[in-house]
Amino acid sequence: MIRYECFEWLAPLMTDQLVVTSLSGQRVEWGHLSKREADLNLGSMGNALAVGIGLALALPQRKVFVFESDGSVLLSLFNLPTLANLNPPNMAVFVFDNQAYSGTRISYPSATAGKTDLAAVAKGSGIEHSVTVSALADFKKEATAALHDGGLRFVVCKIEESVGHRNITRSDVDLLETKYRFVRYLERTEGKPIFQGRG
Amino acid sequence: MEQELAQRIVSGLHDAGIDVITYLPETRLSQMLPLLRDDGSFKLIAVSSEAEAVTIGAGAALGGKQVAVYMECTGLYVSCYSILSIAKRFGVPLLLLIAHLGSFADQRNNSVYAVSGAYVTPILDALEIQYRLVESGQNLETCIKDAGRHTQALKLPVALLFSGDFTR
Repeated sequence: MIRYECFEWLAPLMTDQLVVTSLSGQRVEWGHLSKREADLNLGSMGNALAVGIGLALALPQRKVFVFESDGSVLLSLFNLPTLANLNPPNMAVFVFDNQAYSGTRISYPSATAGKTDLAAVAKGSGIEHSVTVSALADFKKEATAALHDGGLRFVVCKIEESVGHRNITRSDVDLLETKYRFVRYLERTEGKPIFQGRG
Repeated sequence: MEQELAQRIVSGLHDAGIDVITYLPETRLSQMLPLLRDDGSFKLIAVSSEAEAVTIGAGAALGGKQVAVYMECTGLYVSCYSILSIAKRFGVPLLLLIAHLGSFADQRNNSVYAVSGAYVTPILDALEIQYRLVESGQNLETCIKDAGRHTQALKLPVALLFSGDFTR
């Protein structure tokens, strides 16, 4: 399965869902295909899942999608038992698992290239709907359910290692700009102040 | 910590407008947790690591909540990366409530804690996080309210370090 093809299919279907992305090539690809105010590109490893939890708990009426990578989830495995116990019904986590630290440019294998099964780790942590998909059709099925149904979902997407994102021109939106765009969007759509300035 | 001080921390958090508290319990300030729970007006989020106390708190803050993060000072070491890569880099207001074990005024200080406490303020200085030491109940509610207002104004984390009477 190719990550870009997953995003190409999903991006036009998104409406008011919030999306949090981590660091790997997925942030470049999603940022290229989506460009929504509801996207929060964190640009760091090990943080997207937890930030997504905070958003899902703060805004239970909004659906929160988190796009993670194997390396990023492995960096913060303690998130999984916390996520299981909090069990936000409005959250879907998609872990794009290419089994490598491809950003290192030497394609160093991650633990999922060895014995580690992230869906099993999530399941063992208590996340009931924890599955692995490796075909685009199965990704579409899970993503469709995430768009339309309730319930916490944790979907490990086995993908081919791709360096296609290196050919995509990077966004020149900086992180603070991303934050304010996201927060002002929430203020507008939720009808409540979040960051109040009195300049 | 005496029950009265615990209750006054809860009142101070109320006054500061805090509505979400992420936490990993510890030994010095934990008496406030049942009070916070019984109060009913705070959303309490138990975590497995102080690192995610910060990141979950940051997500909630971006979603419109006013957030306090309660941890032992060793949790500051654990959460440095989260503070730097999310709270500092994105500019997210978080009121850090830190039990300062191993500090001069820690009434239960011993060799287990002393080294852990020694690097807390240097790390906060290195991260450029403004903080106040709180060692008695004098002006406690005002201190918490001031810190809450300051973190919202700065849109950055601000810390209160509790020691002295809070560690009895």
